[in-house]
Amino acid sequence: MSESTSHGPAARTDGPTAHSHGAAAHSHAEAHTAGTAFHTRIDTALADGKLRQALSMTTGRLAAGRATAFAALPAADALRDAAQRIRAHTIAHLDQYLVEFTANAERLGCHIHWAETAADAARTVVAIAQASGVSLAVKSKSMLSEEIELNTALESAGIRVVETDLGEFVVQLAGDRPSHIIAPIVHRRREDVAALFREKLGATADEVATIPAMTAFARKTLRDQFVNAGMGISGVNLAVADTGSLCLVTNEGNGRLTTTLPRVHVALLGLERLVPTSADLGVVLQLLARSATGQAMPVYTNLLTGPRRRTTGSDSGGEPDGPDELHIVIVDNGRTRLLGSELAEILYCVRCGACLNVCPVYRQIGGHAYGGVYPGPIGSVVMPGIEGLDRWAELPQASSLCGACRDVCPVRIDIPRLLLKLRAQAVRESLAPMWLRLGMRAFAAIATRPAIYRFVGNLVGRLGTAVARNGWLTRLPGPLAAWTMSRDFPAPAAKSFTQSWRPKRRAERTHA
Amino acid sequence: MTEVRDLVLGAVRDALLRAELPHSSGERPFYVVPPDRTAADDLVGQFTTALVALTGEAHHAESLGATSDAIADIAGVYGAASYLSWSEVAMGCVGLVETLTSRGLRRVSYDLPFDQPGRNQRVRALAEVGLGVTGADAALADSGALVLASGPGRGRLASLLPPVHVALVKRDRLFPSLSALLAARPDLVAGGSNLVVIAGPSRTADIEMTLTHGVHGPKHVHVILIP
Repeated sequence: MSESTSHGPAARTDGPTAHSHGAAAHSHAEAHTAGTAFHTRIDTALADGKLRQALSMTTGRLAAGRATAFAALPAADALRDAAQRIRAHTIAHLDQYLVEFTANAERLGCHIHWAETAADAARTVVAIAQASGVSLAVKSKSMLSEEIELNTALESAGIRVVETDLGEFVVQLAGDRPSHIIAPIVHRRREDVAALFREKLGATADEVATIPAMTAFARKTLRDQFVNAGMGISGVNLAVADTGSLCLVTNEGNGRLTTTLPRVHVALLGLERLVPTSADLGVVLQLLARSATGQAMPVYTNLLTGPRRRTTGSDSGGEPDGPDELHIVIVDNGRTRLLGSELAEILYCVRCGACLNVCPVYRQIGGHAYGGVYPGPIGSVVMPGIEGLDRWAELPQASSLCGACRDVCPVRIDIPRLLLKLRAQAVRESLAPMWLRLGMRAFAAIATRPAIYRFVGNLVGRLGTAVARNGWLTRLPGPLAAWTMSRDFPAPAAKSFTQSWRPKRRAERTHA
Repeated sequence: MTEVRDLVLGAVRDALLRAELPHSSGERPFYVVPPDRTAADDLVGQFTTALVALTGEAHHAESLGATSDAIADIAGVYGAASYLSWSEVAMGCVGLVETLTSRGLRRVSYDLPFDQPGRNQRVRALAEVGLGVTGADAALADSGALVLASGPGRGRLASLLPPVHVALVKRDRLFPSLSALLAARPDLVAGGSNLVVIAGPSRTADIEMTLTHGVHGPKHVHVILIP
């Protein structure tokens, strides 16, 4: 791509390795200072006019699509209530459903692997590939694979891995990271993709002339990878406990190709992504695509129940295609830590991305500025939840607590409540900046002493009026600058409330 | 591996003792699918409207001859000379292969080999086929979607690999919605290794939210409604 044109340094220099555990100490130190890498990334994003235009267009369309789809769904509220209860019930009995799911999947011939950490999960997938002598793997979009940095692990073991979702394919070619859970290249324009295809893949001018032409070119290029791959890697939207099935939804069909063509299929499953029955799955599926893209139904809802069957038919010998081996890697990577915390509700999430599209913060800064694998409101809870608040103390602050995320969540997660819990935890654990803690203590001291409060109030009123411009304070001195760095403060009234109130009351008394 | 399993499950059980889980006391059934009394004729109409909205096309055929004529016409439009398909029995259309052969269309049958090189070679050849023909276990009126279960004689590739997919749908297999289908036919989910619900042609909007069809799966989906 035209590296110099559209993206600030945040999009490139902050590559996946910056989030490995080795970077923990670095991030920890940053969390204690006010002018941090996070703020630098925000400034970079805000200064990028093209990024903001793209964000505004994409999130606007996705949010409007969702609203239209829900308006046309008569039982929407009842379905959302049901989906919330289903997910809450599943998480509350997660151990039982994991046992039930794995027993059923094993009975069908699946290989179950468990991984405690991201590194364990990546190692497991590498070992499966090596055991089958795989040199090329195709991958269907999976945020969990981003979380465990799977591509890096496979490549350092000499196994080539190709992303097959169009957006993720572009991300991989550019050495970039996805900036939205379901629209990975919301931050890129068609010219960027065209330049990338020409430079990295030798596409002709005709092959990148239009978006359909680029799409056809990607189809042709990726077909070559599909037919040569020895392994397909996918995520899982939801797994069904009572049948041992995996459900994967895609629009492009790369999910089906990935799980059908190669001899070996490896599915990455976050350990919370279960539903008890297929009827429960039906409820959640009615909400998932509507929430994500505004579609009543994704193009492909793919249910995988064990590997290809060889003994079912007596006459024809079984199924003619499908993977001969199906491996399911169940990943913890901080999820049990989340489960045991006051943030456990976030595990109800089905990763539709609706909260990103309506978030006034995400809509301005985009996914990369958040710095973690999961951006937006959901990421501001998940990242501190799975990797520790010490590494991600700033994310819960990057919210106006407006509640738009809660209003659109298909499983009704109260994200603002969880963000407040994290903010409180930050103060308890002394992760909030020193000036904030001292400032709050000073405020408490003043506010509990009426005479001092009145005096300081008058002083602030007079000073504020003196320095305000057009009724707004745009730059405050000292530690207060942290406030005005990202928002303006309304100028205080020239007279304090007490000053205005006293003469009024006196006048009223005289009248009486 | 068993050790890690016990560690993770132990951690889950441990965490559940402390977990704060709002709304988790609900009891089954979590949701009761509202009864739907849409008449059979209306289902066909609804299905057709929804399919067309997805850029799919609906055809009607009352006999084996008419069905193969319709398939041959579609093959002609896209210049396909051969096709992948389910078995005649699986499609519920015995005699179809012969009538299609007489119209110049050759069926490519396959059973993927178990060794990787052999398998890759076979898939490369199958990827050149221009048309896929399948039956359907159900079609959904509210969304225009097709429901296909894998099994013997019911390959997944026929609805996936070629640029054009033709599905033969018996009119009595129309259901109002996916929920209604799952309630009526819970056996479908685990009946084969794959149950797929297909709502129109493959699509993407990854580049600048511009809707484009046929990125990986079929670019064109035709449904022939049969008795």
